[in-house]
Amino acid sequence: MESQIKKIHQQLVSKQITCTTLVQEKLDLLKQNKYNSVNSLLDTLALNLASKVDAKIANNEEIGLLEGIPFGIKDVYMLQGTYTTASSKLLKNYKSAYTASAIQKLLDAGAIPIVKENCDSFGHGSSSENTIFGAVKNAINPELVAGGSSGGSAVNVAKEYTVFSIGGDTGGSIRQPAGYNHIYGLKPTYGRISRYGLMAYASSTDCVGPLAKSVEDIRILLNVMSGKDPKDQTSITSTEISEKAILNNNIKTIGYFKNFIESEAIDPKIKADFLTSIEKIKATGIKVKALDFFKSDILVSTYYTLAMAETASNLSRLDGTNYGNRIEAENLIETYAVTRSENFSEETKRRIVGGNQVLSQGFSDEIYLKGLALRDQISENFKKDFEEVDIILSPVTPSTPPKIGESLKDPHAMYLSDAYTVGFSLGQLPTLTVPQGTATGLQITAAKNNDELVLKFANFLKETI
Amino acid sequence: MSKIMTVDVLSSIKGAQPSEAVNKLFDVIKNAHPTDNSLNNVNYNCVSVNNLREDVVVESSAMEKQIILENFPNKKNGYLVVAKVIED
Repeated sequence: MESQIKKIHQQLVSKQITCTTLVQEKLDLLKQNKYNSVNSLLDTLALNLASKVDAKIANNEEIGLLEGIPFGIKDVYMLQGTYTTASSKLLKNYKSAYTASAIQKLLDAGAIPIVKENCDSFGHGSSSENTIFGAVKNAINPELVAGGSSGGSAVNVAKEYTVFSIGGDTGGSIRQPAGYNHIYGLKPTYGRISRYGLMAYASSTDCVGPLAKSVEDIRILLNVMSGKDPKDQTSITSTEISEKAILNNNIKTIGYFKNFIESEAIDPKIKADFLTSIEKIKATGIKVKALDFFKSDILVSTYYTLAMAETASNLSRLDGTNYGNRIEAENLIETYAVTRSENFSEETKRRIVGGNQVLSQGFSDEIYLKGLALRDQISENFKKDFEEVDIILSPVTPSTPPKIGESLKDPHAMYLSDAYTVGFSLGQLPTLTVPQGTATGLQITAAKNNDELVLKFANFLKETI
Repeated sequence: MSKIMTVDVLSSIKGAQPSEAVNKLFDVIKNAHPTDNSLNNVNYNCVSVNNLREDVVVESSAMEKQIILENFPNKKNGYLVVAKVIED
């Protein structure tokens, strides 16, 4: 699909549509939608910003590419003055006091936020069912889950309720719902986009990223949001990716992980479709290598061990003292405990408890420190792989989206469904889901800081498979 | 307070118990054999002391202060009310 941002920009500039009409149309669609993708609408703010864009156009002033483009925000990002709930009971009435750096950059470029989007509470889930706003329904088949945790964002983009949305990806939370709803979703290199103002889940893998309907839109948004930010000391400097730089493919060698494809857990159709895609790529003269990698259960367990430890620490601040739905009890300690027990979801509690288990004395050596050592080995493995290949191609998920309700019954099965996404998170590598190749898409991964190559290969795949 | 703290106390979650689904994940790690522990890259993301940002106090905007007050869970007669503190 062509760039939606450029198309709408042209329509605004040529006065085919007004920004107010555009924003109102999107707000109406969001308001009426039956997919549970909305936590709150930003109608007053959005219409106010839209009228300013219309005034500029009426005065024949030049507008920027993103100016007047309506977008959605996963409800874990701060946007000053708006409800920011993390889809949780605890923060149901919490308002952002400040604005996240990535969102501020989009506002500075003139994009218009129209909705805070439903997601798994605090990013804890792979189905967007772990939310107080109702399970998000899949854009293609509403009986199925939307994926998660950025499920609302993926559905809004897929249904064109938003032109693009900003999700968050810790272990696959952008890439998996993008795959389930047949759109593009990018987890950039860790640190390329500032995390300031994103509610922390697991700080060492949390990434900000765009969901959109074209590679070009992903490129535009990545460029706008990237950059070192003094407010996030793990953010890095990066260079802008030009449109020209990603047009012509010069990638000569790609790889895929043998054990992902030979796994018993993979759906036979996804396996067959993936191998067909590989054959089509080979037919263009690109060399394809089958690579060895860690077993899926090791990847999933390493990721969850570290993510739970980090979330136990990050969420310890949520005690109802300064904000949140405090429930008073007989003393301070009881107030903390009752507030957290009553307000956190079962999945969030499971992860906090798991995190405290692995961090506690007697367990940290056996589990947490061993998890860190495994992560080092996984990163080392990637480093060696990228000496041999330019790109690693993988399915996004081993199977198709489950029916709503199934994931909640079996949390362990839900954790295992992240088998193909979590490894790249641990490696902090740029990875893009493209809506091609298998029923839940393909993941394109490159070496750290090589986000440009990922987009280039995505452009190449559009013509190839 | 007891020297051994159970996960419900550590987590400040009443009656919390380790879950079977999560324990299955940890069992995989317990049984794994990392081949080389010498890489020691765990601090890879740390920021060098020389590269830390200036430690400066930034005044919050009036809007920010107002929202922080709005978010406070309990207010009475113009005061912010905290939970009752009782020393163990």
